[in-house]
Amino acid sequence: MALKKTTEPQRIADQEKRHETRDYDGLVKELTAESINERRWAARDLAAYPQAVPVLLQALRDEQELVVQKAMLDALEAIGGEPVVTGLIPLLRSEQAALRNGVIEALASMPEAVALHIIELLNDQDSDVRIFAIDILQLLAHPDTPKWLLSVLKDETHINVVAAAVDRLAEVGTPEMVEEILSLKQRFPDEPYLHFAVDTAVQRIRGD
Amino acid sequence: MNHAAANAVGNKSEITDSEFVRFRDFFYRKTGIRFDDNKRYFVDKRLLDRMEKTNHESFRSYFTELRFQASGEELQQLINAMTVNETYFFREEYQLECMVESVLDEIVRLKGKNKTIRIWSIPSSTGEEPYSIALYLLEKWPMIDEVDVEIISSDIDTKVLERCRQGIYNERSVHNLPKDLLNRYFKPTSGGKFYQINQDLRESIDFTKVNLADPVQTRPYRDFDLIFCRNLLIYFDDASRRQAADVFFDALNPGGYIFLGHSESMSRISSLYKVRKFPKAISYQKPFV
Repeated sequence: MALKKTTEPQRIADQEKRHETRDYDGLVKELTAESINERRWAARDLAAYPQAVPVLLQALRDEQELVVQKAMLDALEAIGGEPVVTGLIPLLRSEQAALRNGVIEALASMPEAVALHIIELLNDQDSDVRIFAIDILQLLAHPDTPKWLLSVLKDETHINVVAAAVDRLAEVGTPEMVEEILSLKQRFPDEPYLHFAVDTAVQRIRGD
Repeated sequence: MNHAAANAVGNKSEITDSEFVRFRDFFYRKTGIRFDDNKRYFVDKRLLDRMEKTNHESFRSYFTELRFQASGEELQQLINAMTVNETYFFREEYQLECMVESVLDEIVRLKGKNKTIRIWSIPSSTGEEPYSIALYLLEKWPMIDEVDVEIISSDIDTKVLERCRQGIYNERSVHNLPKDLLNRYFKPTSGGKFYQINQDLRESIDFTKVNLADPVQTRPYRDFDLIFCRNLLIYFDDASRRQAADVFFDALNPGGYIFLGHSESMSRISSLYKVRKFPKAISYQKPFV
């Protein structure tokens, strides 16, 4: 017994023994297989098929296993584009925190397609969805991010949503936004936490 | 008092305390690397250097590009500048100690002594890491006489793979090796300026080319009990990092482990793994179910 050079460095695991052919139709069928591994691998391989977006989205809605959900999200992220974004947005309302977080990360990786939906998300009826939109903005590489965050300060009434926006502006805000940020102290006079967040953001933005 | 760094590139600009904090928080969120105040000079110098190279006269305008550039190219440049890209034998040795003192014993208990343990070291770079793993197994793991271990080491770069196979290193690469190991496993070459690792060790590791971003290439890498992927993910963007975490997840056996670099955290990349704290190091484990 000792170090042993493998004659078989790359292995195909037992679970790889194929129950379906690994063409598009076979992979779609495996998305509903009983085995978690088969479903996960089917999702991973479907990343190579842009036409798989609707079936991946449907499967993601039905899937309960986190490891499979992650593979589906990765496949959708790899395909990308407007249909993926439109299909993922409703999942921000999912009861599963891990799935919501995965959706936020996936959406943030598609800045151009997400940009078309940010205003509607920031005006959603559900304050949680509005906060998730701000979470997306924290990760989003899009030049309009500061402008969108500022719009939250002007229109938003929910303290948690406003506080989230102020927190993000501490990173991306610009000096001309300082007045607007400071005005929150008047709008929310009895919220010391927000006052602290405002002071921090202003200090960061001014570069004091 | 406002701490403004001396501008190393010609007094065009300086980084204020507040700008430093703003940058530090952003960089930590993106990379997991946190700079304390005592690293201020190091950080400012590199920031100012990148500002000059990208023609930004103020931190504000540079930071805007850094934060909102869709390609992430400048962030990548800055990460390169802020990180030390070097490799040598027994680097981050506490993880090797953790391997032989905790992780491998647990794997043997799980698999039994008659099953081969498979270790994947990626990226191989020029071979210091996979050979360090091999040396540690031979020298510090008593069960190596009872258990078979396969080490596979991969890299995207075929030139470094060739250097791995040659196994020739300069003095800087071997500076951390105890003298007796150097004498026993290496042979001086080129008038004593270089050292070549012995043939048995060179032949004990399988070096393979793989691109982590290519699902076809990574697909056959399975059944590993332990993966070392140190100081690589830091250079990936968020999406690629998640993709790599998924590749490793599928490459590991249930209950298998992965070691990342000291500044990297799987918890920040993927929720699929369980954090395991051992006396010498933290590792990430693929759950059994």
